[in-house]
Amino acid sequence: MNVRKHPRLLAPGAVLAIGSVMVVAVGIGHTWSDALISEIFVVVIALFDFFLAGTKGDVGAIYRRRTDERQREVIMKSSRLAMLVMFALCYGVAFILIALNKNYWQEDVIGSAGGVAFFVGMTIFGVHDEVADSSSRGIMSTEEVKPPM
Amino acid sequence: MKNEVREFRRKRELSQADLAEGLGVSRQTVIAIESGRYSPSLPLAFRIAKFFEVPVETMFDPSEEEVQ
Repeated sequence: MNVRKHPRLLAPGAVLAIGSVMVVAVGIGHTWSDALISEIFVVVIALFDFFLAGTKGDVGAIYRRRTDERQREVIMKSSRLAMLVMFALCYGVAFILIALNKNYWQEDVIGSAGGVAFFVGMTIFGVHDEVADSSSRGIMSTEEVKPPM
Repeated sequence: MKNEVREFRRKRELSQADLAEGLGVSRQTVIAIESGRYSPSLPLAFRIAKFFEVPVETMFDPSEEEVQ
């Protein structure tokens, strides 16, 4: 089934796909009965996402990826909040592990990757100096703009 | 930013859903614009003005702090 034609299936489809890979990992690393329990959780989350994608408000539109400009701003602000929480958790856990003299390289990798991704994002999505017209009087110009007489 | 969207919509006897459909945005966005909680982008502001066939400055009135 083509999920692009059925946008309501996008989020639950992604959860099912990624979740099922994790379930297989649980099955290999632990027991297949543990994997079955994990699969139940994955299906419940996917059903919850399917329900959310069917709602009429902003959340439904975001889950169906049918957003307008304000909803995209909501996504950006929510993503920023999520990033801050994840960074705080990542480094919080790392500090605890360091204090307990345990391995903390996973948190270090996740935190560093997040930081690098932030700078890569600024490079990709930011305004580049060389693109700006030096003769223009826009925000990139260093010329002093005199008010009209 | 103050705006006249609600007034113009009511004059035309349109619902928020009708206006949202005409502008290609969600009803929640129309509600947010009308209540002044969201300032639309330039393209959307022009789309709203064009929809009601008025100049954009008739539809939107920025405060002094916003233009300085």
